[in-house]
Amino acid sequence: MSEGTVKVLEEEMSAVAHAEMGGVLQAAPGLLPGEIDSHPTPFKYVMIFLILVVVTAIEIATSYLEGSVTSGVIVGLLLFFAIIKFALVASYFMHLKTDQPIFRRFFVLGICAAVVLYSIVLTTLHVF
Amino acid sequence: MATIEQTGTEVAEAPPASPAPAHGHDDHGGHGSSAMLTNTKLAMWLFLASDCLFFGAFISAYLLYRGRPQTGPTPKELFDIPFTSATSFILLMSSLAMVLALAAIQRGDHRRFRLWTLATALFGATFIAGQIYEFTHFYREGLKINTNLFGSTFYVLTGFHGAHVALGILWLLSLWGMSMQGRLGTEKSESVEIAGLYWHFVDVVWIVIFTVIYLMPQPGK
Repeated sequence: MSEGTVKVLEEEMSAVAHAEMGGVLQAAPGLLPGEIDSHPTPFKYVMIFLILVVVTAIEIATSYLEGSVTSGVIVGLLLFFAIIKFALVASYFMHLKTDQPIFRRFFVLGICAAVVLYSIVLTTLHVF
Repeated sequence: MATIEQTGTEVAEAPPASPAPAHGHDDHGGHGSSAMLTNTKLAMWLFLASDCLFFGAFISAYLLYRGRPQTGPTPKELFDIPFTSATSFILLMSSLAMVLALAAIQRGDHRRFRLWTLATALFGATFIAGQIYEFTHFYREGLKINTNLFGSTFYVLTGFHGAHVALGILWLLSLWGMSMQGRLGTEKSESVEIAGLYWHFVDVVWIVIFTVIYLMPQPGK
């Protein structure tokens, strides 16, 4: 392969990486490295916090329904609320929503690996 | 369409590529990378991904042994849900304080940054104090780490989580100290962001622990 061809290939790979990374090779004005959008405002952070508090309160109230509601329903609801809180903290407090997609991919990869691996283990050991 | 003569493959003409920033220290205090993703931030996310597997192992161990016949105190006898709810709320508040600290340093308000960082550390310390009280109470009720399966899995899981919180508090206090000495400028706000990522992860893990360990109905109830 000639030098010119190698150079063309390198430029094209750089362009692909450029597009893959959300088209950012240099941080736009006002943004930090790794950001594709500006972080939420303090007001928004407080709003997210209040939502988290309300969801936590609903979770706790749900746990007290034991005895009057089937366990399976309670478990389902609790998991649902936990996922909502998890997603809110990860998206807004950890800035996954406003940062480069690669961070989200790495984190989701870790979560999926953990869930799949331990689901297999627990299923094999007849927990479910 | 540009063609590569040798392979005969047609490819779209690449847009004029901007010169990639050189590797090395960028203005934000971390080592740069070719797409303006700092390696330190990427490394923290990779660490957090691995920590998911770490905590997943202990949560799975708890779920595996949950509800098995055993001697000694059981969760139903020991758990004080209102108390643990209060400590969970405190940890949530610490997460809010952390993002407000980051927002403060990003806009150059170092006084507020120190205030919120100290608040985050204080909330975290209060949470740890709550955990210590809980552990002490459980111990007095007869639950040691080697009493039964519940004791082993509970103490190991929540103990490791507490250790993570304690390390986070030390990290935050070091950032606070650096700011007091004028060594943490706005250009180094990414250092605060990375500490924040770690702190929020610890909070997220507690969200899972609180739900799975404390709130979920115990089998056989």
